[in-house]
Amino acid sequence: MTVPLIARNTFREATRDRVLAGVVIAGGVVILGTQLLHTLALGEGRRLTTDLGLTTISLFGLLIVLLVGTSLVAKEIERRTIFNLLVRPISRPAYLVGKWLGLSGALWVVAGSLGLVLWGVLALQGHGAMGPAVLEGAYLAGLELTVITALAVLFSALSTPVLSALYTLGFYAVGQWSWDLREFARQAPGALKSTLEVVANLVPNLPVFNMRALAASGEPTTVYHLVLATLYALVYCGCVLALASAAFESRDFK
Amino acid sequence: MQAITRYPDDRSPADHSDRDPAAGPAIRTVGLTKSYRHPWTGRVVPGVENLNLEVERGEVMGCLGPNGAGKTTTLKLLTGLLKPTRGSAWLLGEPITGVESRRRLGFLPEQPYFYEYLSGIEYLEFVGQLSGLQAQDAHERARRWMGRVGLGQRPHLVLRKYSKGMLQRLGLGAALVHDPELLILDEPMSGLDPFGRRDVRDLILEQRGRGTTVLFSSHILPDVETLCDRVAIVMAGRLTRMATVGDIVSGSRQRVEIRCAGVPLLEIPPGLGEVLKRQDHSHETVFMLHDDTRLNEAIDWLLRRGARIRAVAPQRTSLEDLFLDAARPKDGPKVEAQSDDRRSA
Repeated sequence: MTVPLIARNTFREATRDRVLAGVVIAGGVVILGTQLLHTLALGEGRRLTTDLGLTTISLFGLLIVLLVGTSLVAKEIERRTIFNLLVRPISRPAYLVGKWLGLSGALWVVAGSLGLVLWGVLALQGHGAMGPAVLEGAYLAGLELTVITALAVLFSALSTPVLSALYTLGFYAVGQWSWDLREFARQAPGALKSTLEVVANLVPNLPVFNMRALAASGEPTTVYHLVLATLYALVYCGCVLALASAAFESRDFK
Repeated sequence: MQAITRYPDDRSPADHSDRDPAAGPAIRTVGLTKSYRHPWTGRVVPGVENLNLEVERGEVMGCLGPNGAGKTTTLKLLTGLLKPTRGSAWLLGEPITGVESRRRLGFLPEQPYFYEYLSGIEYLEFVGQLSGLQAQDAHERARRWMGRVGLGQRPHLVLRKYSKGMLQRLGLGAALVHDPELLILDEPMSGLDPFGRRDVRDLILEQRGRGTTVLFSSHILPDVETLCDRVAIVMAGRLTRMATVGDIVSGSRQRVEIRCAGVPLLEIPPGLGEVLKRQDHSHETVFMLHDDTRLNEAIDWLLRRGARIRAVAPQRTSLEDLFLDAARPKDGPKVEAQSDDRRSA
C-alpha cells in the first residue's frame, strides 16, 4: 500500500520539476530537427530520423536520470524530507522501491511521449508504417532507463548526488560495451579474464535494449526479444534494489 | 496570525483516554545506547548511553538538556531514524525495530523540512495515507487539520511559499493528522512567535486531555514546567534526573529575595557569604538568600546595619535553576540509580 503512495509522490515530484519539462521539450525539438536533415540524407531520411529519434529518447532519458534520479534519495537525506516518510509505518525497502517506481514511471511517460513525437515526424515524412518498430524501440529504451534508474537509486542511497551521478554514468557507459567486454574477456589471459568477466556480469547488459538499427530499417523485433528484455530488466532491477535495501537498512539519519 | 482552533464537539477525533492503562507503558527503553564511530580515526563518540526510560500512557514528559546532550538522538532512536548500538525499546508495546511501532506514532522533527512542490493539503493527505488512512478519510482530515493549525485559509499554497512558522504548524498537523496515540515532538516551539508557542501549548494540553502520550524536547523551560507531568533531564548522553515537576521543585530549598534601600557600602559577613548574594541597582539593593532557614539571621544582620528593608519575597525555584543545577558534573553518578529506580517502579 505504501509503495504506490511513495511512487505517486515521486512521480509528482519528477513531473513538477522544470528539469523534466525542459528535457522533454529539448528532446521534442531535436526529433523535430531531424526533419531538416531528412533532405540531406540522400534517401536515408527514414533511417536517419528513426535512429536519431530513438537515440534522443535514450540519451535525454539518461540526462533525466542523471539530473533527477541520482539525487533522488541523497537529496531527501540532505534536506531531511526523508524524516517525514521513515517515521511512518514504512519499511526502508518499500521506500526505495517506491522512489524507483515513481521516477521510472516519469521516464516511461518521457519515452512514450518522445516515441509518439518520433512516430508523428515519420508519419509526416510518409513513413507512418514505421509505428510498431518505433514504439518497440521506445519500449526498450524505457526498459533501459528503468534499469539505469535502479542503479541511480542504489548509488543515491549510498553516496552524494555528484558521486552517484558519476557511478551511474560509469555503469551506463560500461554497460553499453558489455558484449565487447565479454568478448574481450574470452581472449584475455588468467586473472584479467576473470576480472573482466566479473565486470561484464555486474554491469547491466544494455545492448539487449538496443534495437535502433533494426527499427531504422523498419523491422519490428520478435516477441521473444521483448519478453527476454523485460524479464532481464526486472531481474536486474530486483537484484540492484535488494542490494540497495540491504545497505540502506542499517543507515542512520542524523 | 490565525490561531489554532478547537474541534467542534461533533468532529472530535478518537479519544485515547479510555485505553487500557494495564497495556504497558507507551515508551519503554532498556539499556538503549547509541555511539558513533569516526570513519577515519575509529574513535567512538557516545550519543546516548544506557538509557532506561518508561513513559506511561497518557503522560506528558518533557526531555530537557543542553545542545548536544542527546535529546534529539534519543527521539530519533525511538522513531527509527537512528539504529541503536545496543539495547532495546518499545513504542506502545511494539519493538522499535519493526514498522508497526510507528503506526500509531506522530513525530515532529526539529526544524521540519517538506516537499516544496506540494501544497499544504496535498502534504497532509500524503502523510495521512502513509500512516494508514484511506484516501477519502485522509482528504477530510487534511482539510480539518489545515484549519486546526491555522493554515486553512490557503490550503493550496505550495510549501515553498510558507514561512518558517507556517512550516512548523504544518509539521504539527502532519504529526497529528492520523490521531496518533503517541506524540514525539522535537523542539515543537522552535521558530514560533509567542502566539504560535501559545497555540502549540494549547494543542499539547488538548492532546493530553484526550489521553495521548506526549514526549517532547524543549529549551523553553517555562513551557515544559507548564505542560509536563514529568521531566527527564539528559546530560552528555545520560539520563541524569527524572521526576515530576512538582517533586523537583518542592524538593529543592526555597530562595528568598530581600529588597533593601540605603545599603550601598554594606559588606556581607563571611558567615552568610555562601548563601547570600547581592545585586546593586540604581534605586535599591537586592539580596538573594539561597537558604530560607537562615532568613532570620540575614534580616537581623541587615537591621543591625541600618538597612531599610522594603520587601521580603520567597522565590519559587524555577525549573531553569534546577536544570542548570543538574547540568553540573556532580550529578553524573546519580544517573544509573535514578533511571533504574524509575524502571523498577
